[in-house]
Amino acid sequence: MRSRRLLIVALLLTGCGRGRAPEAKGDLLAQPWPEIERQARGQTVTLAMWMGDPFINKYINEYVAPNLKQRYRVNLNVVSAQGGQIVSMLMTEIEAHKTQSNVDLMWINGETFYQLRQIDALFGPFTEKLPNAKSIDFKNPFIGYDFQQEVKGYECPWGNVQLAIIYNSARVPEPPRNRQQLAAWVKAHPGRFTFDNTFTGMTFLKSLLIDLAGGPGALDGPFDEEKYKRLSAQLWDYLNGIKPYFWKHGETFPASVAQLHQLFAAGEVDFTMSNNDGDVDNKVLQGLLPETSRAYVLDTGTIQNSHYMGIAKRAPHLAADLVMVNFMISPEAQYEKLKPAVWGDGTVLDVSRLSEDWQAKFADVPQRRFSPKRVDIQPKALREPASEYMIRLSDDFRKYVLEK
Amino acid sequence: MRSRSGTLGLAAFLAVAVLPIGASLLYALLYSVGLAGLLAEGFNGRHWLAVLGSGEIWSSLALSVWVAAGVVAAGTALGLALALGFRGTLDRGALGMALYLPLALPGAVAAFFVFQMLTGGGFVARVLLRLGLLSDPSRFLPLVQDRWAVGIILAHTLLATPFLALLFARLYESERVEELAALSRALGASRRQSLWRVEVPILLHAAGTNLALLFIVVLGSYEIPLLLGRQAPQMLSVLTMRKFALFDLRQKPDAFVVALLYTGLVMALIAGIFRREKAA
Repeated sequence: MRSRRLLIVALLLTGCGRGRAPEAKGDLLAQPWPEIERQARGQTVTLAMWMGDPFINKYINEYVAPNLKQRYRVNLNVVSAQGGQIVSMLMTEIEAHKTQSNVDLMWINGETFYQLRQIDALFGPFTEKLPNAKSIDFKNPFIGYDFQQEVKGYECPWGNVQLAIIYNSARVPEPPRNRQQLAAWVKAHPGRFTFDNTFTGMTFLKSLLIDLAGGPGALDGPFDEEKYKRLSAQLWDYLNGIKPYFWKHGETFPASVAQLHQLFAAGEVDFTMSNNDGDVDNKVLQGLLPETSRAYVLDTGTIQNSHYMGIAKRAPHLAADLVMVNFMISPEAQYEKLKPAVWGDGTVLDVSRLSEDWQAKFADVPQRRFSPKRVDIQPKALREPASEYMIRLSDDFRKYVLEK
Repeated sequence: MRSRSGTLGLAAFLAVAVLPIGASLLYALLYSVGLAGLLAEGFNGRHWLAVLGSGEIWSSLALSVWVAAGVVAAGTALGLALALGFRGTLDRGALGMALYLPLALPGAVAAFFVFQMLTGGGFVARVLLRLGLLSDPSRFLPLVQDRWAVGIILAHTLLATPFLALLFARLYESERVEELAALSRALGASRRQSLWRVEVPILLHAAGTNLALLFIVVLGSYEIPLLLGRQAPQMLSVLTMRKFALFDLRQKPDAFVVALLYTGLVMALIAGIFRREKAA
C-alpha cells in the first residue's frame, strides 16, 4: 500500500513538467487504422490496473506485453492503481492543470467510470475506431451499459463476469440458495461467514438489495432516493439481525477480497466470494483454495458486469493506447484469457459474429472444473444498478452496520 | 550577525521544508472549506461540521492516542528492562544481533509478521490446533483486527523496543546513572530504591523528548494499522486515506479536514516538547 502511494506521488512529481502535448484527439481519430498503428510504433503505454492476482498479472506481462511488442512494436509499462486511486490521481492532475497525464490506459469498473466521467477525465468516444469492436454487441445491457450508464464509446469492455459465492463443499454439503436460507445458515454456524467491505462485498450487497426490491430489473433506471432509503433500511435490518453470527461477531469485516480468500483457505470461514464466476478454478490451480471449493450463484441472482479499459483524456500515447485496446478485444487475446488455467475471464465478444474457426475454438475452450457453467448462471444474472447505489451502500454500510 | 552560510542554510530550509508544507496546509484548508478542488462548492463549513459532528473522528482520535500511548508504555518498559538487565552487553554478541534485527524491518513487514503469527489461521493457532489445544481456528484469541488494537501495539512495540533499549543504554552512560546509583546506595538506599527512585526516573526524564517523538510517529502511522486494524474505528492516517479515496468525490474535503485536525494536534504536541526543552 505504501509503495502504491509512493508510486502515485512519484508519478505526479515526475510529471510536473509541461511535456509534449498529447496527440490531438480529432486528428488521430480521423486517421485510417493502419496510420494509427504506424504512429503507435515505438510508443510506451502506461497501464494502471489492479495487480492483486498473479494469474492476471501473468496474462498481462507474459501474453499481452510480448504480443504488443512483437506485433505492433508497442511497449507496455504496468503500474498498480485502481478505483479511487486512479480517480484521485487524475483529479489532482486536472487540478494542477497538467497537459499530459502520467497514465495512458486504466482498467476501470462502473463506479470509477462514473467518477471519471463526472470530472471529464476520459478520452473518447473511441470504441468505434477499433476494428475488433465490430465483434462486440454494445446493445447487450451487460456490456453497453456500465452501472446503468451508457458507455458511449468512452470505455471499451474487455471482460465479463458474474458474482459467484464460493464454499467449501467438504464442510458445507448444501449451501444456502437465497437470502432467507443464508440467514438461517449463518445463525446455525456462528463465526463461519463474512464478506469484504470493498468492491466484491458491496456487489454482494447490491445483489441482496435487488432481491429485496423485487428481483431482476427492480433497480433498473436512474438512482431513486426514496427506493434506496426504503430498501437499504430493510437490508441493514437483515444484516444487523445476523451480524452477531458473522466472523468476529461482525465487529469487523475483511478489508479486501484477498483477505477473505485467505480466511477461507485457512479454514476460518466456510465461504468466500469472487466477482469472477470462473475464479475458483484458477485459484484452485494456483493452490490458493482447496480442491473442495465450489462456486455457485444464489437462486435470486447475482450481479453480472463487465470490466473496461478507459483512456485518460490527457494520455500521452493515444495511438498506442488504441492499438493496445484493439488487441485486448481481439479473438486471440479474449480466447487466451477465457482459459481457466490462464485467467478464466468471460469474453465480451459476441461469438456469433466471429469467423467459423473462432466460433469452433470458443466452443471448445477447456472446461471449468469447480465453477458453474456460464449458460447455467446467465438466467440468474442481475444488471448493475446505477452507480449512486454503490456509492451510498458503501458509505451507509459503514454507518449503519460496521460502526453500529 | 548571522553568517552567510547560516543565512543560506535557513533559506534552503525554508524553501525545501517550510514552504511546501505551508503551501500544502493552505491548500488543504482551502479545499476543506470549498474554495479549492475540481468539485469545489464555494465557501462553506459543511465539511468541518460534518467531521467534527461525527463520532468517527473522535473514536479515531481516541484509538490513535490509545495505540501511541500503549506503544510508548510497552516499548519503554521492555526497553528499560533490556537496557538495565543486560547492561554493557546489549550491543554485543547474539543478543546485539537479535536486538538489531527488528530495527531492519520496515513497518509493513512487521505488520505482516504479526499477521502471519497471530491470526486465527496463523502460525500460533495452527500449532495449538495441531496440539489439540484449539478446536477451531476461529476460536483463537483475537489479537489481530481486535477491539483493543493489540496487534497494532505489538507490531509497533516490536519495532520500537530495540531503539528504546539502545537509547536507554546510551543514556545510562551519558547521564552517569551508574555513578549516581552507586552514590545513592552509599547513602543508604536499597538496590530496589536505587532502581526506582534514581535510575529509572533519570532515564525517563532524559529520554522524554524521544518518547514524545515516538508517540507522534505512532500516532500518525499508516501501514501497520491498515493491515492489522479493524474497519471501524480506524487510526487517523487510515481514516484520512479512506476518506480521500471515497467513492463519493464530493466528500473528499472531509479527508482534508481530518488531515488538518491531525496536523493541529501534532503541532500542539511539538510546541509542548519545545517548551519542555526550553525549560530544561
